Amino acid sequence: MVETVVEVENLYYSYNSHPVLRGINLEIRRGEIVAIMGENGAGKTTLIKHFNGLLKPKKGLVKVFGVDTRKVSVAELSRKVGLVFQNPDHQLFAETVEKEVEFALRNFGFKEEVIKRRVEWALNLMGLTKYRNRSPFTLSIGERKRLAIASVLSYDPELIIFDEPTAGQDFLQKERIAELLNLLRTQGKTVIIVTHDVEFVATRFERVIVMSQGRIIGDGSFRKILSNLEILKKARLLPPQIVKCAWLLSDIGIPRDIIYPEELVEKLEKILRR
Amino acid sequence: MKVIEIKNVTFTYRGNNEPSLLNINFEVEKGEFILLTGPSGCGKSTLCRLFNGLIPHFYGGKLEGEVIVLDMNVKDTPTYELARHVGMVFQDPENQLFLSNVEKEIAFGLENLGLPRREIQRRVKEVIEYMGLENIKDKAPYELSGGQQQKVAIASVLAMQPEILVLDEPTANLDPYSSLDLLNIVTRLNKELKMTVIIVEHKLEMLLDKVSRLMLMNKGRIVLDKAPQEAVLNSKIKIVGVPKIIEVYEQLKGTGYDLGKPPLSPEDFVNTIRKMVDTHG
Amino acid sequence: MDSIFEGFKFKKKNTIIHNLDPRAKSVYLVMSFISALLFTEPIPLIIIFLTSLPLVFIAKTFREWSRSMKSLSFFIAFIFILNLISMTENRLNYAFSMVFRFLALTSAFSVFFLTTTPDDFMSALEKIGLPKEYTLMFTMSMRFVPTLARDLQIIVDAQKSRGLELEKGSLIRKVKNYVPILIPLIIYEIRRSIMIAEALEARAFGALKQTTSYTELKMKFKDYIFIIIIIIFFGTLIFLKIFNLMPVWMTIKLPEIF
Repeated sequence: MVETVVEVENLYYSYNSHPVLRGINLEIRRGEIVAIMGENGAGKTTLIKHFNGLLKPKKGLVKVFGVDTRKVSVAELSRKVGLVFQNPDHQLFAETVEKEVEFALRNFGFKEEVIKRRVEWALNLMGLTKYRNRSPFTLSIGERKRLAIASVLSYDPELIIFDEPTAGQDFLQKERIAELLNLLRTQGKTVIIVTHDVEFVATRFERVIVMSQGRIIGDGSFRKILSNLEILKKARLLPPQIVKCAWLLSDIGIPRDIIYPEELVEKLEKILRR
Repeated sequence: MKVIEIKNVTFTYRGNNEPSLLNINFEVEKGEFILLTGPSGCGKSTLCRLFNGLIPHFYGGKLEGEVIVLDMNVKDTPTYELARHVGMVFQDPENQLFLSNVEKEIAFGLENLGLPRREIQRRVKEVIEYMGLENIKDKAPYELSGGQQQKVAIASVLAMQPEILVLDEPTANLDPYSSLDLLNIVTRLNKELKMTVIIVEHKLEMLLDKVSRLMLMNKGRIVLDKAPQEAVLNSKIKIVGVPKIIEVYEQLKGTGYDLGKPPLSPEDFVNTIRKMVDTHG
Repeated sequence: MDSIFEGFKFKKKNTIIHNLDPRAKSVYLVMSFISALLFTEPIPLIIIFLTSLPLVFIAKTFREWSRSMKSLSFFIAFIFILNLISMTENRLNYAFSMVFRFLALTSAFSVFFLTTTPDDFMSALEKIGLPKEYTLMFTMSMRFVPTLARDLQIIVDAQKSRGLELEKGSLIRKVKNYVPILIPLIIYEIRRSIMIAEALEARAFGALKQTTSYTELKMKFKDYIFIIIIIIFFGTLIFLKIFNLMPVWMTIKLPEIF
């Protein structure tokens, strides 16, 4: 079932007569795992808010799962599109962790048995089962972040969007997020993350879209995009360390589009053996 | 000259059963640039708050052991006194900019210290020049980018001329360029103004080539306290991950190449490789 | 609804009125206020209202001022009708006076707030002795208003994204729907205030009972002239009223039609 999940046609959006999106054209197909990158203010968050209808186009068209977003409510779109906001404290409110995870399910009118099952699954997935009867506000910041994710995954949306999932996270937390993304991939979900963490994206996201000043300036594989210093510079992104080394050593025969540490090791060994 | 001495410190927040800091012992010499890192919840933010007395005075709780900062015993010295000598910059710029414009913000700490108006004006002007904030000095906080806000936060603290600067994850909400820019400024403060700097950060790749000392914490304890080049080779560093160039270095070392000391930046690494290529070829 | 506030939000312009010391403007405000409350006759109240007009024009704030005045027309009509029905004699006269009292008061406040920054207002209060904690509290509240508005928007967006529909349902349902908005907001702002308190401590707040001040308010020649004019003008009016020396034309009453 190859399907276009998100279709954006010539999208323009302004905020307070200040242009934020200037002619975005984009297609995201089912099962793709995409990273949208760019500097703060490039329009990334504004763009993804169009995918669940929070924002409607000023000019142009946005279709999600084939539906024009202007014709449906946010609640209807959210049924299929999960958006995990950057800061969990902007949404946690329930008396217990369990009730927090139930919230969306109740809003969407799921049956009681289904709710119980889904909540169980989501809590288990994010390692929060032992906290189910605790107040969300007694959890640590890392646990609250997992709770926010659990409450979105619980209703099993087909498109899941994460806004800056790795901001402020430590190494192990980032590894766990990467594992989660992998799991979602194997489940056939379509995943979009908004981030400026180049090291996290390198080797993990087969498609990278770079935005700058309201426009898409790059769209391709992680190898192609993250080794393009010009695009990275325009978007105020620093190249991954391996790419930087590759460029600095390009004159001794190192190809410029190396991303994996192992690739660099291999090429260096060849050169040093000579 | 010792500026900080922490002796056998154990600290438990009020209402907690478990201590957040366990048996902490270390000293800091004037002019050091220390990177304090560790997984979430390891106690690094708690440790920071010892230096200006927020612990124990603001947070309460049980503090055992000795904390001496610039020969002042922190337990007996109020925060407003320590704040003259220890400047602290926090993670969220929004919550440390209180006033309606940049100039007033920078003057705020000096007003609190009761400095004469002339002196305040002089220092505000000096700091604005040093940090390059002339064209934003009339702007309100919400008109500034995250990076600019953090610069203003640093400026406001700098104006008080502290001997020690403590920064708790100052780049957490900033994009890569702004992060690097800010860290370069902090490095300048350490090198040019000889400030003792302690910075809590996760972004090792941006700091390893700038700091003189890396302290790794885990579960309330200091588990590693070495110069960067030694620290990255220690297995304990794995809990926070090592930069990719260290991975490459270790793989090459494993194959038998002698690359000398581990590289702290891509430039560093590239230099080492070039030297090897030259000697080989 | 928003346009009511337009006439009370500071707009940066370079006019004599904007550049007057806030204390001088406060004198104007206080004198207008006292006079407006003192009179019940329509003519003097109209005069007091009209005195604000030249100030509005000199301060080049006519557009914002008039937008506010226009959107207050609902209140004006309400005041008029209320007084018309509740008074027993001289109804029309009294209703008319009350309308102009309202206009005189709001107009004077509008002129003041359109031309004075919250900071200057606070500095003026400090100069007359209000402790620094209070002025800081006020200044900080104003500074955080846009921040709070932004937090509120994010929370609403986040909960809408989880299927919360704020417009649907009965009145009870609608009120319940605000719980997932208010609780995160309150807790978020409480957390924020703790972080702010920490940062204040780190900036030596509270070190001294008496702090010094970076900005200084200095009364200039034009401020004194302005104050003198105001005092003479309003002082005369007040004098006339208190000692019952109002000229006949000032005491004209509207006929008793009702």
